Amino acid sequence: MTVNLGDIHPIVLSDSKRGSGRQIEPHFLGPRGSLAKFLWKIGSFCIPATAAFPTPATHTLYLRPHAPKIPTETDSHSLFIVNVPVDSTAAHFRAIFYSLVGPGRFESITFAHQKSKTEPSPQSAELAPRKGNKRKRSETAEVETELPQIWDRQLVTSGGAAVALLVDDKSLEMVLKAVRSLHKSSKASKWPIWGEGVADKVPAIGMARYLSHQQLKYPDETALGAMVDAFMKSWNNTEEEQARLAKRKRNVPDENGFVTVTRGGRTGPARQEDAEEKRRELEEKERKKRDEMGNFYRFQTRERRKAEQSELVKRFEEDKKRVESMKEKRGRFRPER
Amino acid sequence: MTPLSPKRRKLECDSYVSVKDQATMEKDAPEGKLAQPKASSTQTTDENALYAAGQYKSSIFKLQVDELLAELRPNYGKRTASINQSLHKLNSLIEGIQDRAALPVAEATKLLQKTHKIIVPFPDPIPSKDVAYKLAYAKPTKTNIVGSYALKTMVKSEGSLTIDMIVVMPNSIFQEKDFLNYRYFYKRAYYIACVAAGLQDFTAKEFKLSFEFLNGNTLHPILVVEDRTNKNDFNFEIRIIPAAHKELFAEAKLRPTKNSIRPKSEEADKEAMLLQSPFYNASIKSDCNAEAYLQVLHSASKQAAGYTDSCMLGRIWLQQRGFSGSVADGGFGNFEWACLTALLMKGGGPKGRSVLSPGYSSYQLFKAVVQFLATSNLINKPVVYEKTDITIEKSKVPIFYDGPRGQNILYKMTTWSYESLRQEARTAVDMLNESSFDQFEAVFILRTAQPLQRYDSLAKISIPEILKKPDSSDHSMPVTGFSNKVFEVLREGLMDRVKLINVEMPSLAGWPVKSSCPTIPKEAFIQVGVIFDPANIDRLVDHGPSAEEKKKSAKFQKFWGEKAELRRFKDGSILESLVWTQGSTYSVYQGILSYLIERHFTAEVSNSMIFIGEGFEKILPGSSTAAKVFDALKQSFNELERNIRSMELTLQLRQLSPISPQLRSSSVDLPLFNEGRPLQQPADVLIQFEGSGRWPDDLAAIQRTKIAFLLKIGGLLREANETTSARVGLENTESQFLNCGYLDVVYRTGAAFRIRIHHDREQVLLERQIKDKFIDYRTREDAVSALSEYNRICIQLPFLSQAISTHCTRFPLLSSTIRLVKQWFARHMLSNHVAEELIELLVMRAFLLPYPWRAPSSTMSGFLRTILLLSRWDWRSVPLVVDFTGTMTKKEVEGISTRLEAWRKIDPGMNRTVLFAGSNQDPTGTAFTGRGPSKLVASRITALARSACNLVKNQGVDLNPKSLFFSSTSEYDFVIHLAPAVAGLKETKKSQFKNLEVQLVASESEDLVGYHPHQSYLEELENLYSDTIVFFHGTGALIGGLWNPQHVAARPFKVNLPFTTKPVAHNDEEVQLDKTAILAEISRIGGEMVSRIAT
Repeated sequence: MTVNLGDIHPIVLSDSKRGSGRQIEPHFLGPRGSLAKFLWKIGSFCIPATAAFPTPATHTLYLRPHAPKIPTETDSHSLFIVNVPVDSTAAHFRAIFYSLVGPGRFESITFAHQKSKTEPSPQSAELAPRKGNKRKRSETAEVETELPQIWDRQLVTSGGAAVALLVDDKSLEMVLKAVRSLHKSSKASKWPIWGEGVADKVPAIGMARYLSHQQLKYPDETALGAMVDAFMKSWNNTEEEQARLAKRKRNVPDENGFVTVTRGGRTGPARQEDAEEKRRELEEKERKKRDEMGNFYRFQTRERRKAEQSELVKRFEEDKKRVESMKEKRGRFRPER
Repeated sequence: MTPLSPKRRKLECDSYVSVKDQATMEKDAPEGKLAQPKASSTQTTDENALYAAGQYKSSIFKLQVDELLAELRPNYGKRTASINQSLHKLNSLIEGIQDRAALPVAEATKLLQKTHKIIVPFPDPIPSKDVAYKLAYAKPTKTNIVGSYALKTMVKSEGSLTIDMIVVMPNSIFQEKDFLNYRYFYKRAYYIACVAAGLQDFTAKEFKLSFEFLNGNTLHPILVVEDRTNKNDFNFEIRIIPAAHKELFAEAKLRPTKNSIRPKSEEADKEAMLLQSPFYNASIKSDCNAEAYLQVLHSASKQAAGYTDSCMLGRIWLQQRGFSGSVADGGFGNFEWACLTALLMKGGGPKGRSVLSPGYSSYQLFKAVVQFLATSNLINKPVVYEKTDITIEKSKVPIFYDGPRGQNILYKMTTWSYESLRQEARTAVDMLNESSFDQFEAVFILRTAQPLQRYDSLAKISIPEILKKPDSSDHSMPVTGFSNKVFEVLREGLMDRVKLINVEMPSLAGWPVKSSCPTIPKEAFIQVGVIFDPANIDRLVDHGPSAEEKKKSAKFQKFWGEKAELRRFKDGSILESLVWTQGSTYSVYQGILSYLIERHFTAEVSNSMIFIGEGFEKILPGSSTAAKVFDALKQSFNELERNIRSMELTLQLRQLSPISPQLRSSSVDLPLFNEGRPLQQPADVLIQFEGSGRWPDDLAAIQRTKIAFLLKIGGLLREANETTSARVGLENTESQFLNCGYLDVVYRTGAAFRIRIHHDREQVLLERQIKDKFIDYRTREDAVSALSEYNRICIQLPFLSQAISTHCTRFPLLSSTIRLVKQWFARHMLSNHVAEELIELLVMRAFLLPYPWRAPSSTMSGFLRTILLLSRWDWRSVPLVVDFTGTMTKKEVEGISTRLEAWRKIDPGMNRTVLFAGSNQDPTGTAFTGRGPSKLVASRITALARSACNLVKNQGVDLNPKSLFFSSTSEYDFVIHLAPAVAGLKETKKSQFKNLEVQLVASESEDLVGYHPHQSYLEELENLYSDTIVFFHGTGALIGGLWNPQHVAARPFKVNLPFTTKPVAHNDEEVQLDKTAILAEISRIGGEMVSRIAT
C-alpha cells in the first residue's frame, strides 16, 4: 500500500484521564519534512499520571507501513512503529488499536530487541519451560533446553522499534486513517490512553515485578535438572553428529578427488593449544641459548653497553619530557601550604 | 662513550665507533665524558652527575628537584639592590646613634620610656630595682649580615623575606660576671631598646619598628624593621639581632653542665648543689657565636658545591613538616640544618671522621643529613664535636655540642620535637630508598604538618594559671614548663600504646616597641597530638612491676595513685596493674588521658580537655562490634568449606575462594544474621574443581554443566543437614557466554552464601572466540565483555579478597578505613559508579605506600589520607598502583604506566577506560575500573575530594567530620525519591497480588535472601537509559539523575535513536529528547517503589 505524501497530518495529543483537558499544540508535519519523507505517521497517546510523577505526559509514536529490505508475506498488513515505551506489551498495543479501530484488527507485535528465534510475545515467553516439559523428548529437544525466563515481563529498549501485525490490509488502512483523523480533529481527549484496560491482562510492573523476579530466579530444581539433562543430551548428539560428519569427510574424497583435512582421527594432529605450547617452549629455549652466549665475544659486551647507554639517554629524555608536562599541568613545583 | 670504565675500554670504543658517528653521538649524548676534564658547561656536568650512579636517586627525581629549586630560589639579582639600599641606610643610622652613659636599671628604663615611650623588653623575671650594676649603650663594634640571605639559601614563600643583621655589642658595656643571673640579657634588652629608640629618632616614618622574640626565645628580643619606602613587588623585613663578641665570657663557664642562674636563697648556695642551666647558657653562647657561625656556613658553601642547594632542600623539607627554629615549632630550623650539614662535613662521625664529603651532590648531602638525623640518637648519645676534654651527660634534650664554638646547636629542641624530627627523618630515609615508586612529591611537596592527617587523636589542654613557677633551675617560659610536664606524664602513662606524642605550644607574636612584652593569653591551650600503636592502644589491663620490687611498685603507685591495684594473674604472678573500662579505642585512650591529667594536674584542667579524632569512627555503623560480626561470617564460611570438602563429588575440589566484601571485612553494612533473620546479601563464593577431561569444550555446555553441579552440591548439602536451605538460582539467562547459575546456601544460623563455579577452560574458549575472525561484531563484543567479567570475578577477585583479608589482620584499622571511605562514596551518591574493589585498592595504597607519613593508625588519618590521595590523583596520566607484596620492581610499575599511555593514545577522549588501578596481581589496571566511573564521574570524585581536603585544611582541628559526608542533591536534573519502607520484609508481604501473597506467607524469609528491589530497579534504569541519563545512587533512598547533555539538543530523526523522542514544534526535520515521557516511564517501572520524582 502506498501513502500519499500530502496525506500526512499532524495529530492532536490530549491529556490523560485526570481530565484536565490540557490542549497540546498539534505537530504539523509538512510534506517536505524528513519525518514525512520517510512516510512516517505520528501517533501519540496519553500517559496516565502516577502519584510519583503527576505531570501530564504524552508519548509520541512514529508509524509507517512496514517495508523491510527483504519483503515478507505479511508486509502489507504490518505496521512499523518507532519509539515504543519501555513497558510496552502486546496487550498495550491491542488496547491502543482497539481504541483506534475497534476490536479484532490486531494480531500480534514483535519488538526489535527480541531475538527472532524465540517467541515474540513476552507473555508467552514465560510459558516456554512449561511447554517444553509437556513435549516428549524427541527432535524438538532444542525448545526445552532453553533456560526458563527469570522475568515475568520484559522491558523493551528506550526509543526502540516494533512491528505490529494486523489482521489484514484493510485494518492497516483503517489504522492509518484513524490516526490521520485524530490529527485533524485536534481534540485532545480522543487520543488513546496508555495501558487502559490492560492491568489485569499483563503482569504488573513495579514492586510486584521485582518480587516475581525474585521467585522466578529460583526455578523448580527437578525441571531445571531435566532441562540441563536434555540440553546436554542434545549437545552431545550434535557433537557426535559433527564428529561423525568429520570422520566421513576424512574418508571420502570430494568431487575433485581431494580429501579434506579435519581434526581428529586415529593419528589425528595435536590440539591447537598443544602446538602453541610447544612453539612457546621452543622459543624459550632459543632465547635462553642466545642469552647464555651473550657474553662470549667482546663486541657483544660492547654493543650491549652501548645499547644500555642509549637506553639511558632515551630514558633521560623521556623523563625530561615528563617533568616538562608535569610542570605544565600542575603549573608549578611548589610545596603545598 | 664509556663513562663507567674509562681506563682501557675507552680507546677501543673510540676505535670502534667511526669518527662521524662519534661526533654525532657526542652531540646527542654529552654524558659520555665524565672522565674528561674539559666537560665545561653546567648542563654537561649536570648530566654527567646524573649518570654516575648514586649521585641522584633517579633522573626523574633529579629533574624534579631541579625544577623545585629553580621555582623557589628568589631572584637575588633583582632584589639585592633595593635590599642593600635599605641595609646601608640602616647601618649608617645605627652608626649614628649616640652612646648612652651607664645608668642604674630603674633610671635607664624610666628615661627610655619618658623620651621615646619605648618599654625595654626585659625577660621574665624582670630585674629588681635595687641591683648594683648599670645599663649603658655604646656604638656597636660591627654590624653584619648573617643567615640565609647572606648564604643565598632563601626560599620564596608567601610571607616576606627576612634578612638577619647582627649588631655586635661592644665589650665595654659588659662585666666579667654578667653571664650570671640574667645580667647579660638585661643589658642586651636595654641595648636593643636603645637601638630602637635611636632609629625612631631618625626615621619614624620611613621604618616600621617592632620587637619580636628571636625563635620564640624570651631571652632574645630583637628589633624587626620594615622599610615603608619599599615599592618593590616583594616584601622584606630586616631583623636587627644584638650579638656579642666571641670571647666575651669564658668558654668553660657556659658549658651545658654549668649553672648560671644562682638561687636567691642562701641555703642552696653551694656549688655542688647547683643544677645546670643549659638553655640559658646556650642562649648566651649563641649570641657570642653569631659571627663564628656565619664563617662556618660560608666556608662550607665555598667548600662544597652542593651545599647551598642542599640547605634549600633541607629548608623545604623542614618547612613541609612544620619545623622551624622557633621553640614552639621544634627548635630545628634552617639555621640548625645548615649548621649541622656544615659541621658534619668536617667531623661528627666515629673517631672524629667526617660524615659528609664535600664532593657530594646536593641531593646526597640532603639525604646524608636526613640519615644522620634518623640513625643517631642525640638524647641517649650526645655528640661532642671536635672537643675531647669535656664529657656531657645525657639529658632530656638532644645535644650536638659544637666544641670549637662551645655551644649545643640543638639547645632549643624539646624531647618531643626531637622525637618527631627523628621519626620524620626515618620516614624520609625510607621514602628516599623507595626504588619502585617516585617519592618526590611526598618528600618535598606534600605538607605533612596537617594535624588531622598526621595524628590519630588530638587533645586541647588549657593552661592552668597556677603554673607560674618553673620547677627547674634553667630558664624556661611558663608554657614550656607546663608542656614538658604534660609530656613527661603522658609518656610514662601511655607507655607503648602510642608511637609518638607531640605537644604544640602557643607562640608569641611580635609587638610594637611602645608596648610591653606580650604574655600567653589566659584562654590559650596546648595541643597534644598522638600517633597510636594500633596493636596496644585499646589494651584494657596494664601490667606494672611485680609486688616484690618494692621501689618500682612504690614509684608506680605514686604515679598512678588509686588506680594502681595489686592483682594476681593466671600465671601466678602478682603485679601492680591498671584496669580500664571497656569501650572503643578512643574511649579507652581518652579515659587514660583524663585520669592522668586529673591526677598530675587538676580536675579542672582534665575536665576542660577537648578531644578530636573520634568523630570519624562514629560515622560508621556499629564500629565497635564490627570485628566480631565479620568474624562470625568467616566462621560460617569455614563451616561451608568443611561441608563441601567432605562431599563425595565426581570431581576433586581444588579451591573455595571467598570473593564478597563481607568476607574480607570491608563491606559498609555489617553482615548481620541470626536464626530466622538470614544475611540480607548472600556472600559470594567461588568454587573451583580440579581439571578434568570430562568437561564439555563449549561455553554454553559448560554453563549448563555448572548448573548440574550446583544442583548436585545443593542436594548433598540438604542431605547432610535438613535445616540448610540450598537453591539454584539463575542469572544472565540472555547471555551465551556469561555464567548463568549459582547456588544460594542459607544455613540455619542465618549465614547465607552464593556459590558460583569457576572453570578455567572458559578463559581459553573466550579468547578463542575473540580471536576468531569469522564471528560477527556483536558476538565478539559479548565475548570481550564476558572475558573481562571472567577475569574480574574468577581471577582478580579471589586475589584481592585474599590480599585484603591478609592486610586487615596486619593493619587493624584497614577494615574500618575501607568502610568509611566506601561510606563517603555512598553518601555522595557515587556507589553505583565506583566498584567497591577500586575503593579498596585506593585505601590499600594509602596504607601500603603511606608516605610522607607512616601507615595510618586510626580511621581518621586513614580516611583523610585516602581522600588526600584521591584529590591529588591525576588519573589522566598517572595510574594507581598497589603493590600488595612489596615486591614490584620499577620496571613493572613503569609497565603499568606505559599501558596507561597506550590507552590514552588509543582513546584520548577517555570514553572507555578512565581510571587505571593496577596492582602486582593486575598489570592491566582495568579489572575493577572497566565498568566505571566515567570521565564525568571521575572528575566529580576529584572535585569532591579536593573540596573535602580544603575543608580539612581550612578548618583544621575544628572540623566537624560529618560535614565531609554531606551531599547536596541540587546538582541533579531530577531526583527519584524511593519509598523508604519498600526494601523491608514486612512491606513486601502486603503484596497486592493474592497469589504472591499466599506464596510469601508460606515461604520462609530465606526466600527473600538477596532480594534488593531498589538495586534491581536502579540496574534496570541504568540499562534502559545508559545513553541518556547518568544515575547517581548511594545508600539512601534517593536516585539522582543527570541528562546527557549530548542528547538534549534537537536532532534529525532516525530510526535507532537510543532514547524516547518527540517532534520539535514547528520543525519537521528534527526530534528531541522527550524528558517528560521518560520520567513517566521511570515512574511506571518503579511503580509503588517510587514515592516522588522531583525535577
